[in-house]
Amino acid sequence: MNTGTPLGAWFLALLLTVSGGAVQAKTPPDQLLIGMNMNNLLTLDPAAMTGNDIVGIVVNLYDPLIELDPRALTNVRPALATSWEVNDARDLITFHLRDGVKFHSGNPVTADDVVWSMRRILHLNLAQASVWKSYGFTKKNVDEMVRTPSPGIVEIQLPKPNDPKLVIYSLAALGSVVALDSKTVKAHEVNGDWGNRWLTTNEAGSGPFRLDSWQAKDVLNMSRNPQYWRGEPRLTRVVFRHFQESQTLRLMIEKGDLDIANNMAVSDVTALSHDPAMTVDTVKKGTIYYVAMSMKEPHFANPKVREAVRYLIDYQGIGKALMTGYGIVHQRPIQVGMPATLPDPGYRLDIPRAKALLAEAGYPDGFDTTLRVLADQPFLNIAIAVQSTLMQAGIRAKIVTGTGNQIYGAMRERKFDMLVGRGGSGVEPHPHSSLRALVYNPDNNDAARLTNFQGWRTGFYDKQLNTDIDQALLERDPEKQKQDYFAIQERYDALIPALVPLSQMVDSIVVRKDVKNYLPHPSATTFLRDVYKDESQATTPSAGGKGL
Amino acid sequence: MTTQTQTWRSGIPAGRIGKRLVQVAVTLFGLLLLTFFIGRVMPVDPVLAIVGPDADHSTYQQVYHQLGFDKPLWTQFGIYLSGLAHGDFGNALLTGKPVTQDILRVFPATMELATLAIILGAGVGIPLGVLAAAKRNSVADYVVRIISLAGYSTPIFWVGMMGLLVFYAWLGWVGGAGRLDFSLDGQVTRHSGFMLIDALIAGNWEVFRNALNHLILPASLLGFHSLAYISRMTRSFMLAQLSQEFIITARVKGLSEWDVLWNHAFRNILVQLLTVVALAYGSLLEGAVLIETVFSWPGFGSYLTSSLMLGDMNAVMGCVLVVGMIFVVLNLLSDLLYQVFDPRTKV
Repeated sequence: MNTGTPLGAWFLALLLTVSGGAVQAKTPPDQLLIGMNMNNLLTLDPAAMTGNDIVGIVVNLYDPLIELDPRALTNVRPALATSWEVNDARDLITFHLRDGVKFHSGNPVTADDVVWSMRRILHLNLAQASVWKSYGFTKKNVDEMVRTPSPGIVEIQLPKPNDPKLVIYSLAALGSVVALDSKTVKAHEVNGDWGNRWLTTNEAGSGPFRLDSWQAKDVLNMSRNPQYWRGEPRLTRVVFRHFQESQTLRLMIEKGDLDIANNMAVSDVTALSHDPAMTVDTVKKGTIYYVAMSMKEPHFANPKVREAVRYLIDYQGIGKALMTGYGIVHQRPIQVGMPATLPDPGYRLDIPRAKALLAEAGYPDGFDTTLRVLADQPFLNIAIAVQSTLMQAGIRAKIVTGTGNQIYGAMRERKFDMLVGRGGSGVEPHPHSSLRALVYNPDNNDAARLTNFQGWRTGFYDKQLNTDIDQALLERDPEKQKQDYFAIQERYDALIPALVPLSQMVDSIVVRKDVKNYLPHPSATTFLRDVYKDESQATTPSAGGKGL
Repeated sequence: MTTQTQTWRSGIPAGRIGKRLVQVAVTLFGLLLLTFFIGRVMPVDPVLAIVGPDADHSTYQQVYHQLGFDKPLWTQFGIYLSGLAHGDFGNALLTGKPVTQDILRVFPATMELATLAIILGAGVGIPLGVLAAAKRNSVADYVVRIISLAGYSTPIFWVGMMGLLVFYAWLGWVGGAGRLDFSLDGQVTRHSGFMLIDALIAGNWEVFRNALNHLILPASLLGFHSLAYISRMTRSFMLAQLSQEFIITARVKGLSEWDVLWNHAFRNILVQLLTVVALAYGSLLEGAVLIETVFSWPGFGSYLTSSLMLGDMNAVMGCVLVVGMIFVVLNLLSDLLYQVFDPRTKV
């Protein structure tokens, strides 16, 4: 071959020497190799973890009390707890634990471990404490409220009235309330840190897999737990690999060097969806993409302006052109698919109507503002689309991009004008999960610092709405509760909120066809214990990439 | 007697070495001071990264306090320096491990990549530069200049992606992203952190071959990038030498062109080239970020970038110190070598 230069000839010769012309082997049949962006994996401590990616790992190292069925989310299945009941006063949930379960250390799993693990969340007061604090648990009361009256029994007393169903969903869906081997963790405690530093890079669970090693932003290895109480997992090893670049991830799965690719750019997912060797699993998540306005900013304190913005978003256009693979058009705060979710109100881009509303509000020529957005997709594209439609009615929004900290940090400080973001929990299949995160705002004072409520962050406050949300949560009659949630959505819509929902998140995961029983979980608690590979379904990896 | 004790065997005054060391210490201190204060005013909030965007205020405040951000900046800097004096770089947010441990893990990965890259870059770039100078304005010169231009102006990210597409995905000649095939991961015990060396120590030829197979493409692409710089500099140094009178004299004396080029001209540019190669190597160690990103190479550049994005200042400061040390040491070394090889600079 004539390469034209001595360099080319040298390079070619070296490549041939090193490679021997070898083609990559496909992944071993008893191992699962998952490629994903591991940027957000900062800790393995179940009480401190943030984001969905880490939940998918932690739930395979630990056992929760109960879990949600990935096929029917409201179906709560036993895990460490074989059964549970709620008292008549609806303030006490009692769990009966399974016998004979052992931690990876060989220690038995006891009710004391479960109670200690839950108390630990509140005492540590890290990322996973927020939901439990919103249910009334505190550092001071948790030791009394979560207890074990006799061996094998765990009691959770609710500190304030709540819907026990929601609490049960939280226990099953969050991935943080799992059994930690308290003896092992206590042995690694430093300066009263509840073992937090040690658990950042280690585990003390009883789950189907054990942690072998974790190098941040590189690789996480787990191997099967042969003593697992549900039976030994079929995979001997699961490897999570960090990929910063979606296109690299795509080449690797195309070549058969990976079994599953997560967090891939939509363009790459779309390209792979035509590959007969792969399937693309699309999972609806509870979080909502939105355009938020700060009501502390005088323009947006005016409901006419907020209403104008409502008509200055091309929901359908954004959904069709920008959100394929990222989300589906949705204009309600409660996630789609719940019995209590109202149909979309059908808002559309309507420039003349928006202009008229702006004129009524006293801004016939529009005004200048800023639009904050993450420098990632699809956020940036949504912001650009919104900017252009706002402009058509005279609202000149300057886009300010940044990292999560810069964008959401400003929102937490209530120092923003407009923002394109995503939020709303929705992890639990209960309307309150979304309303709590997006709408509820019990105290609108700056001093209240209710930074975990996006209602507070935007300064949107309606006393009646808060009362309605509280009451609906406590309603015992399911039909009446559903009607209450309908009324809340109607009222929220009529008040012209500061947060305009436009799309519900979906997640796309590419899986090679020989991988069986992989069911991506909407709550991110994807269980790997039953996954295996069917060699007969394996196809020869592509002879080459199809181009980028 | 006095003269002997005041100088090294090479003839460099000991006082000058001491002076340089003081300069190094001051430079590094300044670097740390600047990085620390820039880090603290950067609009990145590491607390939010730890607690997540949905955490409530009490959690945020607790972590803010735990990290010592409520203390005055000078106190924070003092605490950092005091830790540093005891060899403690602090813990990284990104990994939860001591920064020293992290750097010791990621640095060999980058060093392995950069070392092979500089061997390739200098090994090919220097002869090409000499060739271009010797055959000035010939086809060979133009070809070298085009290669150099291409290496300089082609975005390394794009070259990396195309390299993966062609040599990994289409031809299947090299391994994909990462330092090894997944199935071979963990097969050799980590001693040095250099995959090739560790495989040799373990006598595991499969891992050695596989590691080389993964290393060759990113190293060649990085090498291509430094080749562009090195060949251009070599060419210009050589041209300067070839126009000197002593070269004309050598030719008049009837020396062969080989002798003129290599024994007369090239020998005179060796010291300059040493500086060029040393600085190119330093740049590779510091900034193979894009290639590390494309190839999911768990190296220093990728670690530094992630730490910066997270506002993980302990990690950033540790990395800055290492990068500063690299450049200071390389500068110092090339400076000293200048003095060794070129007596005129001793004065």
